[in-house]
Amino acid sequence: MASHGLILALCLLVGYSVTTHAEPLDEPLKPLPAAPALDPKRVQLGQRLFNDPRLSVNNTLSCASCHRLDKGGADDKQFSLGFDGKPVEVNTPTVFNASLNFHQFWDGRVDTLEEQVHIVVTSPVEMGSDWKTVVKRIADDPGYARDFADAYPSGVTQPNIQGALADYERTLLTPNSRFDQYLLGNTDILTPREKFGYQRFKEYGCIACHQGVNIGGNMFQKFGVMGDYIQDLGNPTRADEGRFNITGDEADRQVFKVPSLRNVAVTAPYFHNGSAPTLERAVEVMFKYQLGREPLKNDTQLIVEFLKTLTGEWEGKPL
Amino acid sequence: MNSLSRRLGLAFIGVLLASILLFMYIESGAQQAASHIESRDLIRLLKQQDGIWDNEVLKSRIALSHNYDPLVSPLNEMSRLWQRLDAIEAAPGRHAPELWSTQRDEYLKALKEKTRLVEQFKSHNAVLRNSLAFLPTAEDDIQRQFALLSDNDKLRLQSATIDTYDLLLATLEFAQITTQDQAAEILMGLNQLDINKERLPDGLVSSVEILRRHIALILREQPLVNQLLRDFEAVPLAARLDTITHILEKDQEKAAAKHQRNHIMLLVFATLLVLILIWLAVRLVRSFGEIKRVNSALQTANDELEQRVEERTRQLKDTQSELMDTARQAGMAEIATNVLHNVGNVLNSVNISADLVSRKLRSSKALGLGKAMNLINEHNHDLGHFLTEDEKGKLLPGYLNQLVEAIAVEQQSLTDELAQLSKSVDHIKDIVSTQQSYAGANSLMEPLAVSELLEDALRMNSGALTRHHVTVIKDYGEVPRIMGDKHRLLLILINLISNAKYAMAGVSNHARNMTLKATVVDDETLQISVKDEGEGIPEENMTRIFAHGFTTRKDGHGFGLHSCALAAIEMNGHLTAHSEGPGTGATFVLQLPLKLAEGEP
Repeated sequence: MASHGLILALCLLVGYSVTTHAEPLDEPLKPLPAAPALDPKRVQLGQRLFNDPRLSVNNTLSCASCHRLDKGGADDKQFSLGFDGKPVEVNTPTVFNASLNFHQFWDGRVDTLEEQVHIVVTSPVEMGSDWKTVVKRIADDPGYARDFADAYPSGVTQPNIQGALADYERTLLTPNSRFDQYLLGNTDILTPREKFGYQRFKEYGCIACHQGVNIGGNMFQKFGVMGDYIQDLGNPTRADEGRFNITGDEADRQVFKVPSLRNVAVTAPYFHNGSAPTLERAVEVMFKYQLGREPLKNDTQLIVEFLKTLTGEWEGKPL
Repeated sequence: MNSLSRRLGLAFIGVLLASILLFMYIESGAQQAASHIESRDLIRLLKQQDGIWDNEVLKSRIALSHNYDPLVSPLNEMSRLWQRLDAIEAAPGRHAPELWSTQRDEYLKALKEKTRLVEQFKSHNAVLRNSLAFLPTAEDDIQRQFALLSDNDKLRLQSATIDTYDLLLATLEFAQITTQDQAAEILMGLNQLDINKERLPDGLVSSVEILRRHIALILREQPLVNQLLRDFEAVPLAARLDTITHILEKDQEKAAAKHQRNHIMLLVFATLLVLILIWLAVRLVRSFGEIKRVNSALQTANDELEQRVEERTRQLKDTQSELMDTARQAGMAEIATNVLHNVGNVLNSVNISADLVSRKLRSSKALGLGKAMNLINEHNHDLGHFLTEDEKGKLLPGYLNQLVEAIAVEQQSLTDELAQLSKSVDHIKDIVSTQQSYAGANSLMEPLAVSELLEDALRMNSGALTRHHVTVIKDYGEVPRIMGDKHRLLLILINLISNAKYAMAGVSNHARNMTLKATVVDDETLQISVKDEGEGIPEENMTRIFAHGFTTRKDGHGFGLHSCALAAIEMNGHLTAHSEGPGTGATFVLQLPLKLAEGEP
């Protein structure tokens, strides 16, 4: 008895928690990893650049103009407006957890966030600028010049601007979603309906594509496996050809990067063309064109409820 | 010279060997080996990741894993590893540039192809697995709805459900064994399903339609996935890595061979260096022996030398004593010379006096007395007559009277000259007695009148002075009687006067004046100077004129001034010479402490 007390005291002394956590669940969906350790100076520079309209040719758009962190890391428009006020070709994907995607853009044209920065800054429909201009504007700002010199040996350069932005984006993770807590073993956090929703998510085969740490974002898939959604929607555009525009491979027609479902509840509208205004509609489209299934009554709603548990936190507040 | 060049040559060889060793050490540095090991390690890791990738693809293929992240992460890891490998191997001097860039291109091409295939595999496999997984559910769905039908309908549609079930089984089989036959069978089943659909009630039609679509998808996707996997397996990524490994191995073999060669060379050169060192050591030991031998020889020589020096010293001492004896004798000789010189000077006066007396005697008026007596004797018989009558006889008494006067004058002159002579003889006597008492003899101090002394000295030189037409100017100041060594003073004065006379021997363009001056300076010094207007003394001789043996005269012996200076010093005074240079004359000044004679104020 005395020895038990002693062990308990020792355990308390060394801070050993006697309340055992449940084991993390082994599911095809994986919990969000921790944010990487990066140079805070660079991350801070990235944050400033992210909110700096000088990146666009006419000083009208910053990254944050379309990727609004208070709106799920995107905007609520079907198509965001470029520097010239004209809508861009595809719906703005969220910047949150973008670093966990295996490629960037709907058509997956680049592998890294740095390259993504380059494409957006120089895109004639997005920021419409060029690096010479951007680097000059940033370098001419004494505050930037000083802080860049502090964070990078080479000071203000194109790669350093790209790097700072990419580093900042790598910190834009949304931890602590209820579903992540569930995956980490806190199974009581989900309501029975949400658990049912997850079960339906798996049963119907959503999980075939939306899996992994980012619940998607790790493969390409044809949009319209079981039917031609784009045809049915009408008015097909060049952007609807998806990855074909990059590879020129017939097999890549209407193939897109499977988007992450994290924070999906707060990133409407949906799909590359923003054609689904609500989550319910998106789920229905998926059922019909991707899964080729007829959901039973209520199952769509259950899945939507499950999807809402995927909303994480940014700066300690739910998105 | 020869040994120096040999030594330099040896040092050169030593330095050369050492630098070769250093060079080879640097050459065979561990850098390459280390980077080689790292490269091999990176390739191993790349192959590992490639293996993991293959494994994950297969796991997805058999639906063991539903998470496609593991099909992405190896690629990221591989590109990271490749960057490191490329950084090492692309370094200049590592490979022939084309060789590595070719390897890199081949590898990246294979990787790109594999990545493309994996991407397609993921897409197709995902939908295929989904549809396959759905088949049992679809069948259940159909069976459930079938169960709801009336018995009549059930009977009627029995074959349709059996067809559906068969199709399902065929499809599942197709998923395992994908053959053309199986595909044809499924295609037939699908056609049958379409035919059967006509007979089915509405609820079943949609379920069957869903099933049909999924089976059609499987029929489409399964061969595609299989083909992708075959292509995937055919991608020579691992082979590329093996090729690179092979190249690296060959490089390493080469490096190892070079290393080996370097080792052997190092060994050879090191051995050479060691041999040189040993040789040097032997030389050193020998040198030590040599030095020791030479040292002992030197010691012996030294001892001998010391002995000889001792001997010589002794001899020298003997010689010195001999020399001292000789010197003493020589001193005596010098004294004798001095004496003789001084005596010679005085003898000159004696000679002159004697000559004068003899000449006077030869032309003596006494001869006239003889003539007068002859005249008297001739007229002895008539002397009276002769003296009174004869012309000649009448003059005779007057003549005799004159003769008496002349003889008296003559006698007086002779007496004077003889007095002079005896004075000179006295002087000689003095010189001799003085010289006899030279060594340590006290000088004889006596009361002297300086002017008398000067006159005496002049007198002793008077004949010569007259012969040389020297005019003596006397400038005797108020000089009291002094106590002095008459002989030494005379010696000095005679010498100085004699020298002045000789100095002016060559003077022909002006009067030969010699000035004698005596004064008392500051009541304590007697100063006597002899000034001539002769040839003067050149600057370079100024210090030498008092030296023993110095003379400018052909027949001089150089003792005069030397003994004068000595004499002056012996009287606690000094003798100095002044001259403005050749042709300007010279002044000799004798200074003596003034010692007044008794009775002087």
